[in-house]
Amino acid sequence: MMLAVVLAAIAALGVTGWFTARAKARLLYSGRGSMRATANYHGLHLALWIVIPALLGFAIWSSVSPGLVNEAVMADPAAAQLPASDMERAAILAETRSIANDPTMVAFNPLAQELAEPMRAAQTRYALLGLLVVAVFAFAGGAYGYTRIKPEFPARTRVERAVMLLLLAASLIAIITTFGIIASLVFETSLFFRDVSPWAFLTGTHWSPGNAMGADIDENFGAVPLFWGTIYIGAIIAMIVAIPLGLMSAIYLTQYADARVRRWTKPALEILAGVPTVVYGYFAALSIAPAIRDLAASLGYSNPSTESALAAGLVMGVMIIPFVSSMADDSIAAVPRAMSDGSLAMGATRSETIKKVVLPAALPGIVAGVMLAVSRAIGETMIVVMAAGATARLTADPLASMTTVTYQIVQMLTGDQEFDSPKTLSAFALGLVLFIVTLILNIIALRVVKRFREAYE
Amino acid sequence: MSSTFQSEAFGKRLARRHAAERRFRLLGLGAIVLSLAFLALLLFIMLRNGLSGISWQFLTGSDSTDPALAGVWGATKGSLLTMLVTLAISFPLGVLAAIYLEEFAPRTRWIEWVEVSINNLAAVPSIIFGLLGLAVFINTFQLPRSAPLVGGLTLALMTMPVIVISGRNAIKAVPPSIRDAALAVGASEVQTVFHHVLPLALPGILTGTIIGMARALGETAPLLMIGMRAFVASPPDGLTDPSSVLPMQIFLWSDEIDKGFVVNTSAAIIVLLVFLLAMNALAIYLRNKFEVRW
Repeated sequence: MMLAVVLAAIAALGVTGWFTARAKARLLYSGRGSMRATANYHGLHLALWIVIPALLGFAIWSSVSPGLVNEAVMADPAAAQLPASDMERAAILAETRSIANDPTMVAFNPLAQELAEPMRAAQTRYALLGLLVVAVFAFAGGAYGYTRIKPEFPARTRVERAVMLLLLAASLIAIITTFGIIASLVFETSLFFRDVSPWAFLTGTHWSPGNAMGADIDENFGAVPLFWGTIYIGAIIAMIVAIPLGLMSAIYLTQYADARVRRWTKPALEILAGVPTVVYGYFAALSIAPAIRDLAASLGYSNPSTESALAAGLVMGVMIIPFVSSMADDSIAAVPRAMSDGSLAMGATRSETIKKVVLPAALPGIVAGVMLAVSRAIGETMIVVMAAGATARLTADPLASMTTVTYQIVQMLTGDQEFDSPKTLSAFALGLVLFIVTLILNIIALRVVKRFREAYE
Repeated sequence: MSSTFQSEAFGKRLARRHAAERRFRLLGLGAIVLSLAFLALLLFIMLRNGLSGISWQFLTGSDSTDPALAGVWGATKGSLLTMLVTLAISFPLGVLAAIYLEEFAPRTRWIEWVEVSINNLAAVPSIIFGLLGLAVFINTFQLPRSAPLVGGLTLALMTMPVIVISGRNAIKAVPPSIRDAALAVGASEVQTVFHHVLPLALPGILTGTIIGMARALGETAPLLMIGMRAFVASPPDGLTDPSSVLPMQIFLWSDEIDKGFVVNTSAAIIVLLVFLLAMNALAIYLRNKFEVRW
């Protein structure tokens, strides 16, 4: 609420500044060539000088005010009863804050109720102070900007310089995000590796974090069964489904289908990629998994489970089909026409041409597409959460219930765990492994695709 | 010579080759038919299970423990708020980054890193973004759990690379003659881009944005990480209220044992798919209406 009001006020000040500066610049105008910039740019320049300092002031205030409010509350006589332990104190203060924000709430802790009044007073005090800071920043910036409105002032160049900085900042967000991912995963993983040895984590074959306590903690965090489940479902079963279907679809669409069929079939195939994964997961759990279980039972399997690696992998494979197909489509289309024409002219049939000439030429692109598909499949979460099961086991039986890295990440983080238990932290370690593996697959694949494209251009 | 082509052995071999050709062609057709049949089966089962569950009560209600009273409006509103945050952040940032990379960026090592990280972020598993959101927005910045604000921020980081990539392609497709003409009559580089190139590239950018938003709308895994799985019995009123989103509602209901929730889950899937279909149709419409072939 506060945020919206302040931002609106800053925007209003900016607009006012824009109009003022424009009006003043128009007064200064005395014929063609008398000004270095148009009135509009003088307006924008002043608006920037108001908005940027104001936002800066607001940012500074928002980062220091919670600390100041807490300090003011601690100075209250009632705060002397607060427990000494930091954790408990923080919990009570958090409760106090929510009571202060919402008077209808009933306190769980009487102390929190008592402190709510001083906290509300402190909050109001610092909010007013914050508004003052923002106003001072805005007016100081505005005053400086206003004095710059002169005929010879290059307002446009200044505004454009600010625009360039904004553009640069926007493009840096991507690298900051990448850095943020790596930093947060590595940090939490390092906390995890204080309790569990990395070697035991990466090579152990027993995963049951539920029993992990005390001395034998290492033995219960062996992630190999998870890696195996992920590879088995995502890179083996799903690919057995997706590669033939995707590749054959792409071949048919590029080599055989006429334009009319292609125009309708391609978007229809792409719908498969647009269906949310939670829908696939539900479909797998509702229809495919029971069907597979019944089939297994009729084939004489004793007691097959409802959750199976096969069901999850099968549905995941279908989800990946359009992905493989469009990558294969691109690589086949990139093969020069002259190559297949040459083969056809020598009397080879179309299928012979495809098998002996087109596919070998398109192979690098197709392989890269498959790598991207694998990277997508092993990172896929909802299908395995809903259809694959929770038991970590090392088996090649597709009808067994199997668990994956993503499933365990979800499992570890959705319970009511305290945040820094090894169990919770293990999710970040698994996330780091997943990130590194997909990163390697993506980088290699993107590089292959790039080189492949250059080869035929 | 002619005897070779008329020999019985040659005729047989030719027939075999042509049979192989037909088989191969059928195999291709079969692959497409099989894939589309799977899609049709999925849609059919959802419609069969869910159509009976769609009612006014269902479309306007919120989550409830009683399947007959439960509805999707609460989750839909959560989804809309979340998408609002995602759009408000990822669209401007994505477009600005695309402009910079395509029009102004110097070819340096540093910019190459930016490009690699954008291409890579577009392929990072979505659950990793959820871990990032949990570690940064919730644990470091102490933003409220299960709020559309945090969900929107997390999904914005995921959607931005998609917008940057499609934005760059759209900007690249604007012919250089447009830029040359603007520069020739005295526009500055910034004016050229914002007054001339950007308006022409906008339909392409919007198409990419809608597709990215559709993906974000169907995303569940990252939101699971930041705790948007609470039982929310009333629609959220603001960006910081606890809330659920449509795919999460589907996930939560799919876990319920009560038979009535099977109908609800499928009905919620129908609602979600209708939203996605509408968004994709809009994207295709925009592309066909405004696409200019230079």
